[in-house]
Amino acid sequence: MKAAMFWGCRILTSQYAYEISAREVLARLGVEIVDLSEAICCGDPVRSVNDFAATFLGTRVLALANATGLYDLIVPCNRCHFVISEAKRLVESDADTKQQVIGLLKEEGLEYNARIKIWHVIDLLHDSVGLGTIKKAVAKPLKGLRLASHVGCQILRYSDLGRVDDAENPKKLDDLIATLGAESIDYNEKLDCCGSHLTYSHVDSALSLAGSKLKAVQALGVDGLVVSCPDCGMMFDTKQKDAAGTVGARLGLPVVYYTQLLGLALDVDQQKLGLHLNQSPVEQLLSKV
Amino acid sequence: MSIIDLMSMAKPNLASRERILAKLRGRDLVNCFQCIKCTSGCTALKLLELKPHEIEKLVNLGFVDELSSSDIIWTCVTCLKCVQRCPQKASPYHVIIALRNLAVEREAKVPEEFMKAVSRVLETGLAETFQDVVSRKMETFNRKSLKLPMVYAPKESFQTVFLKALEER
Repeated sequence: MKAAMFWGCRILTSQYAYEISAREVLARLGVEIVDLSEAICCGDPVRSVNDFAATFLGTRVLALANATGLYDLIVPCNRCHFVISEAKRLVESDADTKQQVIGLLKEEGLEYNARIKIWHVIDLLHDSVGLGTIKKAVAKPLKGLRLASHVGCQILRYSDLGRVDDAENPKKLDDLIATLGAESIDYNEKLDCCGSHLTYSHVDSALSLAGSKLKAVQALGVDGLVVSCPDCGMMFDTKQKDAAGTVGARLGLPVVYYTQLLGLALDVDQQKLGLHLNQSPVEQLLSKV
Repeated sequence: MSIIDLMSMAKPNLASRERILAKLRGRDLVNCFQCIKCTSGCTALKLLELKPHEIEKLVNLGFVDELSSSDIIWTCVTCLKCVQRCPQKASPYHVIIALRNLAVEREAKVPEEFMKAVSRVLETGLAETFQDVVSRKMETFNRKSLKLPMVYAPKESFQTVFLKALEER
């Protein structure tokens, strides 16, 4: 499979471990990615200021994808995935918006194409690459690892839009973890949000949401938390120490991107998975692999 | 201050209510029957006392001017649970986005970080700035030292067109 890739802002500017590991494992599983010609914002933070401008940005991403000549677009960030999906639906359902957006795109010589399918890494691996192919590629099964999965919010809700997995009982990430030989446990706080959006207006509350979830997951006695969104990665991994302070807990929970975990099972060198960049104590997890 | 206190001295403004309904491109909001499913599952309820069902009711009653200048609309985490669970398609999340947009139009107090993000998009195309990250072994890394591919900013025409998009209401 050959697909266009839209990384979004967060991955390109700070969550490098997600980018490094995704590039590595997708290539090994036969997914050839083509980066869009320009790096732009999907419209997510713009939405709170001007919804139309956000729709324009989301559609512009689709137009840049169209320029690659490919019909599949991978969007590994949950927030970007949602904003672009909603922009696409609005342009297709509202004739006035479509006319306005297409007019603006035309000024830049860009063309929107409704045929483009939007993937997240999770459904791409689960539905397109397939669990069977992944299982065959596993060189080092992650036997004995007990993990908690965190799918995040915006690739699950809301179902009417067409999302990556079931809104109330998501299973794909758990299946993907189990395929690697590890155990993905069920837990009460599974659908709790990381709080990243609140970093724009209420930083302490954002950290407190992340801290509460980390504290609950740590209490389960698992070997780590698996994420698949750069905002969740930022809150649970990069800002874990700050989050610990807001909930008065000593946190030391390894947090990894699914693409990093997959890479470990494919026996990829740790540097090539960006595991040196995680801020949480991932050594605890790595020592059991 | 509780959000309901906003109503004590206020008079409904039905024209502002129509502005919100126009932004929502539909009138499903009026079907809200206060089942409170949104508030029961709201991520921001416990921490910041956001009660989406009250927002729905206040907009329906016409207290839009008060809401658009209230801090409460900026407490939503955008987890989308309310959209998912609303049986009436009266999505509180989308109502809150419409109220935020109205607050910007009316030059009410808006958290600075949102405006900064938009201005960064205008200048560079991205809402974030490139960061140097420090590994657990205290080594500093950036895209170049990690041998990640070059990232290209949008063409100059983008700024002009994005400004036009920002003028749309």
